[in-house]
Amino acid sequence: MNEIEQMVNDVFIDSFELDIDELKPEATIFEDLGLDSLDIVDLVVALQKKFAVQIRNDDRVRSIRTLGDIYSFITALKSEMAD
Amino acid sequence: MKRVVITGIGCISALGNGVDELIDGIEQGRSAVKRMDDWAKYNGLQSIVGAPAVLKNTKDIPRKKRRSMGRMSIMAVQAAQEALEDAGINNDDVSNDRCGSIIGSTMGGAEALNETFETMLPDHDLSQLTSMKFFQCVSHTASMNVAQYFGLKGAVMATSAACASSLQALGAGTDLIRLGKQDIVLCGGSEELHPTVTGSFDILFATSTHFNDKPKDTPRPFDKSRDGIVCGEGSGIIVLEEYEHALARGAKIYAEVLGYNTCGSGAHVSQSNKEAMVQCLSAALAEAKLSKEDVDYVSAHATATIQGDIAEVEAIREVFGEKVPVNSFKGYIGHTLGASGSIELIAALKMMEKGVIYPTLNLDELADDCKGVMHVKELIDKQINVIVKNCFAFGGINASLVCRRI
Repeated sequence: MNEIEQMVNDVFIDSFELDIDELKPEATIFEDLGLDSLDIVDLVVALQKKFAVQIRNDDRVRSIRTLGDIYSFITALKSEMAD
Repeated sequence: MKRVVITGIGCISALGNGVDELIDGIEQGRSAVKRMDDWAKYNGLQSIVGAPAVLKNTKDIPRKKRRSMGRMSIMAVQAAQEALEDAGINNDDVSNDRCGSIIGSTMGGAEALNETFETMLPDHDLSQLTSMKFFQCVSHTASMNVAQYFGLKGAVMATSAACASSLQALGAGTDLIRLGKQDIVLCGGSEELHPTVTGSFDILFATSTHFNDKPKDTPRPFDKSRDGIVCGEGSGIIVLEEYEHALARGAKIYAEVLGYNTCGSGAHVSQSNKEAMVQCLSAALAEAKLSKEDVDYVSAHATATIQGDIAEVEAIREVFGEKVPVNSFKGYIGHTLGASGSIELIAALKMMEKGVIYPTLNLDELADDCKGVMHVKELIDKQINVIVKNCFAFGGINASLVCRRI
């Protein structure tokens, strides 16, 4: 598990009281991890704070389905910021 | 009109989580007031004392139910759970449109409000606000969360009249049941201790400031050395139930609510007004169809302010004379503001059950200006049949409730 994945997992553990065992890359955000639309607002806020990014209006957020999608999205975002 | 009875009580206070803990603490003569060292960082805050509650077992409330709750809602839910269990009512049995909640507070969740402003204002940036802050802040946060937690589908309301909030909640709940609109209403108040709340009294010179290093000696209702309010926190929830509904299920009945009144003084936003208090007490007694001789005990508002205690003593003396026992619970748990009416009524109902009247803590030397009523300075054994509970609030708002043992 790389640093970004660990940090994303920390957000889920801290904000949504999930166990590390539940945090599989293939886990779906709504069905498997049990978040709802209100939680997504808080997920965005927590990720913004954790990674010092602005993603609230990023269209790519809408296509996220799984935890792995978040890893990929944040990784891409950090890569773009580094360029 | 339907009759309204009290069938369950529950509370969280600085003396502990539950009615038994509250009463044990009072019986032991314990003050829950502490020095609040963290508050010293606030410039201009003179009162560094408070009566904090210790929340326990909060994670027993599932995250999705708990996420919209600040401290006051958690306390209200836990108090409501105790009240329902005390009433012998299963949670599933209140999830219908005949059951509601009316729970008041001074201004909603103080902690969440403060966090919201601290997040938003430094950079005028809303992007860091979480979705739940609104639900934790709002004036109806406790009532809304209790209703959501228990699945109530009846009336869900929040009274907001500062220190009279919970008594107004009980009055409003009584009216709904009297009119046949509800069978059961979870009524009361909830309040959080926070430096911004104490500060609102502090800037008006209404707080206790001379006992920061002797916190257990304050507040001192009716005492010669009283110097103001000490804020506390907690929640008191009372199950109000339609009489026939309670009878049909064989419920234990603490008392019947016979009379209630709330009125404004129309005179001043902060100064106590004896005439308005007399009007309120007299109207509540008249609605109860009782005379002053019927009243066995008055649970005073008595926050230990100089003027407030004087006005209340004068009002009680004018309405009830000098022979009715009077006490204040503020010395034990501080002033729980919007929750004080229901928490203190719960203590009074337990006194009715036990046949005792607890003394006013820290009333060591009765002030000359508070003489003229029968102050309770030591525990009295007495059968109580009729209780009068007072709450007087900023805004010139008064509320009194009369209930009688059945």
